[in-house]
Amino acid sequence: MRRRTSPVQAILIGGVMGVALLWVLFPFYWAFVNSIKKPADTFRSGAWVPFLQFQPTLEHWISELAILEIRQALINSTIIALGAATLAVLLGTLAAYALARFRFGKSGNANLTTWFISQRILPPVVVVIPFFLIMRQLQLLDNVFSLVLLNATFTLPFPVIILSQMIRELPQELEEAALVDGANVFQAFTRVVLPLILPGLVATWIICMAFSWNEFLFALSLTTNRAIPMPVIIAGAEHTRGVQFWFVGVRVMLTMLPPIVFALLAQRYIIRGLTLGAVKG
Amino acid sequence: MAALETSTRPPRRADPTKFFFIMPAVIWVLLFTIFPLLYALYTSFFSFRFGRINQFVGFANYVRLFTDSNLHNGLRVTLTFVLVTVTIQMLLGFSLALLLNREMRGKSILRAIMVLPLFATPVAVGYLSITLFYEINGPINELLRALGGTGIPWLSNPFWALVAVIIIDIWQWTPFVFLVSLAALQGLPADLYEAAEVDGASGWQSFRSITLPLMTPILWLILLLRLVEAFKVFDIPTSLTLGGPGRATEVYSLFTYRTALRFFDHGYAAAQGFLLLFIVSLIVALLFGRIRSIYQEERS
Repeated sequence: MRRRTSPVQAILIGGVMGVALLWVLFPFYWAFVNSIKKPADTFRSGAWVPFLQFQPTLEHWISELAILEIRQALINSTIIALGAATLAVLLGTLAAYALARFRFGKSGNANLTTWFISQRILPPVVVVIPFFLIMRQLQLLDNVFSLVLLNATFTLPFPVIILSQMIRELPQELEEAALVDGANVFQAFTRVVLPLILPGLVATWIICMAFSWNEFLFALSLTTNRAIPMPVIIAGAEHTRGVQFWFVGVRVMLTMLPPIVFALLAQRYIIRGLTLGAVKG
Repeated sequence: MAALETSTRPPRRADPTKFFFIMPAVIWVLLFTIFPLLYALYTSFFSFRFGRINQFVGFANYVRLFTDSNLHNGLRVTLTFVLVTVTIQMLLGFSLALLLNREMRGKSILRAIMVLPLFATPVAVGYLSITLFYEINGPINELLRALGGTGIPWLSNPFWALVAVIIIDIWQWTPFVFLVSLAALQGLPADLYEAAEVDGASGWQSFRSITLPLMTPILWLILLLRLVEAFKVFDIPTSLTLGGPGRATEVYSLFTYRTALRFFDHGYAAAQGFLLLFIVSLIVALLFGRIRSIYQEERS
């Protein structure tokens, strides 16, 4: 760790880093560059740098965004992501506070936490059948509301685990002082704890949005027409109309851009979330 | 799983208001996970016709699991996928983390870039890969040809189609192993390494006797999370290859999805779901003992 890096090592490390970055970034660049190429340029090899090697165009972005289904899908995805994340954070923050500050029997807290996060182990395909049958019964098939409910359920572990850890790291004296001053538990929670965990809360909300935006299996199973979100629009379209690189580029960018921006915003809490609280990152 | 508490202090109050805080989430999970699971269990004992319950068939749907060659194909494809992807991701991600675990410029940018694949919509990645692996003028085959090789029939050949799916999953999830390993490596106590260096230990020796033992629980945890996630694979094969050619990339979840929502054989699909749940739970049960120490250390 403290060892000095020799010039040979430095070159080796630089090389590995360069290859790794190229490997990670290439697909993103490929999607972007195809989205601004004229169809003829997508068939031509050696067209990598806009303006220098080919004349970029926004025509595919404009024509794709003019499609009613795409606009509807973007709206649906936004509703699902916002709704599900807000619900998950609302329920999760309350539960996180309870787990951090109250005792539920001898090992109740640990068991409850485990129970909450065990949903991330459940393969979604196990519950896709009952959800389909239940939503059909409730006439909620092809309704964004059903996807808001399901994504809130499956992202709930993130706020529970991230926020209960954050609350435990806060000094308890602050709340106790508020209680001594005559505040009740709810006031101590909303006026003392909430402001202090706000950065983590927002980050968790963003992580939940990204996961809800990306969810595919439930979206595919429960939507048929007007509730279809972006991931369902994109799946399999090319198999029916032949590969048109420029449209693939635009659609991929439209689908990926929001969760990627979310990821960059919530970076600090991502490792903690993805390892279910085990590694703080 | 048990004992996931990280507090050093005991929670303080035995106040009934605690139920106000915990109950909404508890009821929610009961309603949206436990109830559907029970409903799926009930469903699995019935045969369906035109998507409606037809008659009670006892364990017949479970018996079918043993004789259905298409299901066995799904299981085999998934197992191959899981073993290959997770092995490569673990080796590659951990080695990269070891190599880059040192003081250097640009580390935060590197980390920000590595986060991107984790959050790139998997379906979109699969869809984009149709063009990446495109056989005539896709960039991968163009690169192979430029290097003097021949193009590979990525999506029309059963073997190469599975390889393509595997490559994309490796692209997406190796950064996860890398980022978590790196975070854990940087949390290791620096004084141990200094002491080892003073004692004249070589880099390899301090790796063998300090890094590896301290990292073992974390590596088991990463392995567990990767295995669980990999068994659920659905998005990439569905968008990249539609399970084909033939059934070469028809992973377990895709086969179950088709049983349920293409053939409306809900009872049988539910039984398939439980077999998958059983496999995943078995893995968790086998590995959880090895990661428990992570949480216990934090509490002591």
